[in-house]
Amino acid sequence: MVLRKRVWRIIKENKGRYIGIVILILLGSFYFTAATGVANNLEKMVVGFAEEYRQEDLTFSTDKSIEDIAALEDESGALIEAYRQYDIKLPDGELRLLSLSAKINIPAVLSGRGLENPGDILLDPYFSQTHGLNIGGEIELNGKTFNIVGTMAVPNYVFILKNLYDVLPTSGFGIGIVSSADIEAFPEVVTVYSAYFEDRENINGQTSKLHGLLSEKGYSLSEWMVAGNNKRVSMPWANISSMKSMSFPVATVFFLLSCIIVAVMIMRIVKSDGVVIGTLYAQGYRRRELTRHFMAIPVLLSGVGGFAGTLLALPGVRPVVNSMLIYYILPDKGITFSPLNLVLAVLIPVAFISLSSFLFIRKILKKTAVELMKGDEQKAKVNFIEATLRLDRLKFNTKFRIREQVRSIPRLLFLVLGVSAASMILLFGFTFNYSMDEVNRGALERYVYPLEYNFKEVQNLQDRSIPKGAEPYNASRAYPEGRESVEFYLVGMETDSVGLKMKDLGGDQLPRDQVNITYPLASRLKLKEGDTISFVNKLDGKSYSLIIDGIVEAYGEQFVFMPLEEFNRITGHPPGSYRTVLSSHEIDFDESQLSGVMDARDPEAFEDLNMSTTLIVASVTALAVLIAVIIIFLVTSLMIDESRNTISLLKVLGYRGNELARLILNSSTPAVFIGYWLGLPLMLAFGNILYGYVAETINMVIPMIVNPLYVLISFIIIFAVYEITKWLCGRKLAKISMSEALKAGTE
Amino acid sequence: MNLYIDYTTEIAADMEQTIKNELVQNLELNKNRNGVLIMFLSTSNLTKSYNTGIITHVLKGVGLEMKRGEIGVILGPSGSGKSTLMNIIGGVDRADGGTVEVDGNRITDLNNSQLVEYRRESVGFIFQFYNLVPNLTVAENIEVVSNISKKPLKTDEMLSAVGLYDKKNRFPRELSGGEQQRVSIARAIVKNPKLLLCDEPTGALDLETSRGVLSLLQKVNEQFGTTILMITHNSAIAGMAQVVFRMRSGEVAEVAHNSEIIPAERIEW
Repeated sequence: MVLRKRVWRIIKENKGRYIGIVILILLGSFYFTAATGVANNLEKMVVGFAEEYRQEDLTFSTDKSIEDIAALEDESGALIEAYRQYDIKLPDGELRLLSLSAKINIPAVLSGRGLENPGDILLDPYFSQTHGLNIGGEIELNGKTFNIVGTMAVPNYVFILKNLYDVLPTSGFGIGIVSSADIEAFPEVVTVYSAYFEDRENINGQTSKLHGLLSEKGYSLSEWMVAGNNKRVSMPWANISSMKSMSFPVATVFFLLSCIIVAVMIMRIVKSDGVVIGTLYAQGYRRRELTRHFMAIPVLLSGVGGFAGTLLALPGVRPVVNSMLIYYILPDKGITFSPLNLVLAVLIPVAFISLSSFLFIRKILKKTAVELMKGDEQKAKVNFIEATLRLDRLKFNTKFRIREQVRSIPRLLFLVLGVSAASMILLFGFTFNYSMDEVNRGALERYVYPLEYNFKEVQNLQDRSIPKGAEPYNASRAYPEGRESVEFYLVGMETDSVGLKMKDLGGDQLPRDQVNITYPLASRLKLKEGDTISFVNKLDGKSYSLIIDGIVEAYGEQFVFMPLEEFNRITGHPPGSYRTVLSSHEIDFDESQLSGVMDARDPEAFEDLNMSTTLIVASVTALAVLIAVIIIFLVTSLMIDESRNTISLLKVLGYRGNELARLILNSSTPAVFIGYWLGLPLMLAFGNILYGYVAETINMVIPMIVNPLYVLISFIIIFAVYEITKWLCGRKLAKISMSEALKAGTE
Repeated sequence: MNLYIDYTTEIAADMEQTIKNELVQNLELNKNRNGVLIMFLSTSNLTKSYNTGIITHVLKGVGLEMKRGEIGVILGPSGSGKSTLMNIIGGVDRADGGTVEVDGNRITDLNNSQLVEYRRESVGFIFQFYNLVPNLTVAENIEVVSNISKKPLKTDEMLSAVGLYDKKNRFPRELSGGEQQRVSIARAIVKNPKLLLCDEPTGALDLETSRGVLSLLQKVNEQFGTTILMITHNSAIAGMAQVVFRMRSGEVAEVAHNSEIIPAERIEW
């Protein structure tokens, strides 16, 4: 059809605008393809690794060795394996040696070869890389030299955390695997058990059964952690789940924004073509033929945007997965894509945008040839809001700007929602960064005594007294009844304890002789002072109830504090039992009895090593700026285009360039302002949903802490983008000739 | 619809006095220190060409003169250069050669910024298709100009003067063609310009409405002393002008001075 030539001509007339729309659609498809691609590939690696190399369902430690593992396996229906571990201090870090497992958590060799000879060692790739160790090289551990034969991944250390309850990896820490014979060369090795249930149904029931059996047999459990709550195993699921759950909604936001702006533009084209359409009808063209002609533009734009976004995302998935494989030690299974997702990434925008455009143009194409040929569609109509507005008391410039904005409600909606989306992304990036900083800072600032010594076994004050300037604590993992995903620490502390800061929400000191709960945990469980918290102690599996006396101000921490003696009494520990010592100074404990020492004197050592939040902030800032530029550019250029005659006329009447710029370009300022501030509650709502999801998935509470400084910075960024875009559009405004008004044949 | 309103009764007394004073001043301004008559508007040897692949000489040495307070009509067929001439006089286009002087100022020597100043203070424009801003009300369309004028007249008084005070909150689409042109006239005169340039002001109107618009222009000329230069195809309109320029092929082929001015209401075609 000869009309097809027009499609290209229409697009060429406003290249910049159509490119902007294509980029918006592209971003949506790009995000959808990249997020589903990364999530699916990561999931494939995580699930594949867990299945193939038999990832544990449970890890636990006992006060004494389990004598007859085979019998326990028979009784519980689980595979149980004891492995040995030993932590070795190095000049620039720490290496945890693990004995080679055969049944559960079987190591996968990532490079080099497996263990063959005595003295062979496999290292985790990140540790090798950060310590400059290569295959074929050697590493000396406590005077014994090991030959590095390869790198490996083990299913129970996918995310390498030193301690089970750490949130972030410890700088310089890594793992190595040696033969069982080699590890026995170190005298202080400890035994840890892992369990895998062969019946993959009702894991929780089988876990409880095993717990009961161990208790029955008189084993006291010093550690008990199911895989779902073990961040070493479950951490990648936070990324997988959040990416999967956000891929469609985020892409949809881009597609909806594109729908609005494409519909506005198509409507304009169809309206300005009203007489032509009427004439073509009169000459025998069918509605279907003309619909097809006008639909070619949205189909083309969405098809090109969707296809380009999908294509661009394909090579982008590999680097993202690679960057994750630095922190998640997994065998690389290669990158594959779901054909369904690829098709959806192209078809969803085509369907969204084509349908919305069709609904808009159908209204006009339904009119008769005579109606259309009258040219009424081309005449500027005054909408209901414009007609209702009474602006007599306002200054002319204000009236003009208001009328410019309300002239097209979809255009105004697009601007407000678009700026909101950009602001939301920007604010979320900053808030995430600040929240993570606050979580780390808040956790460290709690320590008045900065050194924390954790013993492998429960100690007693009668056997081992504690020097002045130090104090004992006892702790246990617990979960609220019926909500196993919400794990927390139940901590016993002395009633005159000073080692930890504990203030209520008003900033006042809280007494230590009562039960205090941290705010994030209280908030998750919807508890307040005077309420009762019922929970299950994970070590003994028994249920307990405590009445909450106070709420502790905290970011992210999930603790219930209570008096030490009361803790020991209810959990069945002898009086004076403790497992942790907080100290103001270094104490010379026997290292072989310690499971770890935490030193809060150097906050930098606790910086986020997992994800570079700076990189995240930079990426989201760039994305937000790009979106804001596109949205503001599209709206401003549309506005200039729709007001060409007016601009030209105002030039004839003697308006100067800067006066016109103030009138036309500045008219969007209130919409940008409203859009920005609308972005803040939207970001909070979105963030709370996302963080709630993360909390439920991996029991990690990230608070939404809005820093006014970042709100200001985001505001400045959005308005700087607005000013720059205005300046760019100002050149377009300057190009409008006075002859347009002089030749105008309309109102 | 009664367009022949005696709008002077609706103009405030102080405004009336101001205008009368200006009229007296205008008459004096037509003479130099020695009492010799000087021209308010004069063009000399004005040339303009367009190159659209083929060079078209639109104006070929146009010269014309008008006294302050006169109504001038430019007649001529399409393509004779009428609109180009008017655009150059109005400062919206530039000549290739020759000069234009308005009230002693050589327009052709002004830079872009000075031309903007000239347009906003000295010239009023009236277009064939009114060129109103569609999404502004009648009153706001007049404010478009008063907003940038140093000494604008009052919008409400202008609305009364053109008989549209009761329609001040209507949008252009809600008005007839004649009413829209009256808004356009009010917009042009609200800054009390020295020169009013009208490009086919009745081109889109029927006879009766056209008479009303022309009558209004004539009264503006009488009351405000505004010099009016009007382009038209319609030679009948020439009767209401003191001076008539007939253009042909980019030149002023004939200049006629009417000894008797016909009131707009009596024009027939």
